[in-house]
Amino acid sequence: MSIRALLIDDERLARVELRKLLMDFPSIEVVEEAANVAEALDKIDQLKPDLIFLDIQMPGKTGFDLLAELDRSPQVIFTTAHHEYALKAFEVNALDYLMKPIDPVRLADAIQKVQQLEAARIGNGEGEILPNGVLSENDQVFVKDGDRCWFVKLNEIRFFESVGNYARVFFGANKPMILKSLNALEDRLDPKLFFRTNRKYIVNLRMIEKIEPYFNGGLLLELKGGDKIEVSRRQTLRFKEMMSL
Amino acid sequence: MINLLQSRERLYWLLQVSGWILFGALTVLFANVFNVQLAPGVLEGRILIFCLIGFLLTHLTRLAIKRLGLLQLPLEKAWPGILISVLVCNGLYAWFTILTLEYFNLFLTPEAYSLSFFQKWLAIFLDNGLFILSWLLLYFFFHYYYDNRQRQLNTLKLESAVRELELKTLKSHINPHFIFNSLNSIRALVDLNPERARRAITELSNLLRSSMQTEKSQLVPLRQEMDIIRDYLALESIRFESRLRVELDIAEDTLDLPVPPMMLQTLVENAIKHGISTSMDGGWVRIYSFKREGAHVLEVANSGYLNSAVITAGFGLSSTQNRLQILFGTPARLFIRQQEKDVVLCSVTIPFQ
Repeated sequence: MSIRALLIDDERLARVELRKLLMDFPSIEVVEEAANVAEALDKIDQLKPDLIFLDIQMPGKTGFDLLAELDRSPQVIFTTAHHEYALKAFEVNALDYLMKPIDPVRLADAIQKVQQLEAARIGNGEGEILPNGVLSENDQVFVKDGDRCWFVKLNEIRFFESVGNYARVFFGANKPMILKSLNALEDRLDPKLFFRTNRKYIVNLRMIEKIEPYFNGGLLLELKGGDKIEVSRRQTLRFKEMMSL
Repeated sequence: MINLLQSRERLYWLLQVSGWILFGALTVLFANVFNVQLAPGVLEGRILIFCLIGFLLTHLTRLAIKRLGLLQLPLEKAWPGILISVLVCNGLYAWFTILTLEYFNLFLTPEAYSLSFFQKWLAIFLDNGLFILSWLLLYFFFHYYYDNRQRQLNTLKLESAVRELELKTLKSHINPHFIFNSLNSIRALVDLNPERARRAITELSNLLRSSMQTEKSQLVPLRQEMDIIRDYLALESIRFESRLRVELDIAEDTLDLPVPPMMLQTLVENAIKHGISTSMDGGWVRIYSFKREGAHVLEVANSGYLNSAVITAGFGLSSTQNRLQILFGTPARLFIRQQEKDVVLCSVTIPFQ
């Protein structure tokens, strides 16, 4: 089982060096290189790599900007010459980063972690790509709000709330904003998992704890964590249909 | 500190003993000059009493002042205490001397014996009290004068320490990000171009060495600074390859002028950071050094656009500005501006000393 990787760094020599280091890891197949965010976006779209090695400081846009633009984030290993504290803003547990010049031992650890995650995904029968670019529940998305960033798995999200042209994502104790409209999100989410309850909300069906009738023939959903969200009369019919299936 | 306290204690005893001996000696002298006629032993006895009681009481008063912490207060808070100490010490002095004089029968005239105790007390309070008063005033004056001087001295010391510290922190250091990126490039070069890798290690060593030496000297000749900058640019060229284009225009007669070490390097680093590393196609950096109107002008121009956030947030620039002010005073200045549509210019003017 080989892992297809894309190297993203603006310095040619840095890419050369990383490629050379990766020659010791036959499980990693370097499919391409990219020297900036625009190039990387193209190549991720075309080649759909399992893993990207991502430099943070690049001309124009940073590695974080790249992740924020992706619908579905591949596994990411950051490579940076900055010290750890520069990444402290990062509230991510699933993330690995390597400091340049890269220590081969640290690289081996990071790759082992990626392999374990990949094996788990395939073992669970996950990772299959749904038609029309719809995201599955184990896909992770990268969310950036100001200086803070998160990798979030879709099944960890409780609900989305529409705020003007943007949306707020509720997961754990966080509720960052993302630069996507609720309508655009609805198109990308798996309808078996996420349900549009009314104009303002999209709810993760697995997060529902209680369903109560509400006035006007609607419903009131209580989610894990205690949030209460109304289902409009129009959507109630669809909701009942779905749940009865 | 202990030394200081000891020397002060010694000084006190010296003044205390010699002061009261002088007082006694002067009284004897006056008595002889004005030819005061007294029964034998009266003058000597009186002087002994006045001096001994004065000596003991002022010493006790000093202990009381110290115990009460009167001297630690600022003058405007301490004056009521000073006033009370003067009155109490003086009152006690008069009281003790009368009792002793009565005991030894040492009054000057027979009329004195007929006066009431209060009258005698008041007479001595006003007469000899003057000495006690001057003793206390001298004591307080001495303290406040010396403490004040000490405080001024401490402030000066503190100011110079702060200034030194400021200069130390303002001195620029090589960005660690740069060092690690360079090392990463060099590692790639080890296989690709071993000769270039060897040279790059020398360049990086030179750069690190001079960065460490900025601690030692406040000014270096431009010639030396330019050597560093050439090494620095060579390393950046490895990283950025064709994306970085450099031109140098250094007037021969400015090579021996003094400049703060690593200052120009910081400016060049800034230019590369904002002008080249943010652009996908890279850009150019030009460095100028020349004399103009009684001053040495150093300029770093780069392609790109001035981001106002850079000027306010860029620690490099503001610290360079502060460093220039401390080293050369106000006529030295630094500015950065959008020179042309896509040219950013940073200019430093150092007046000839």
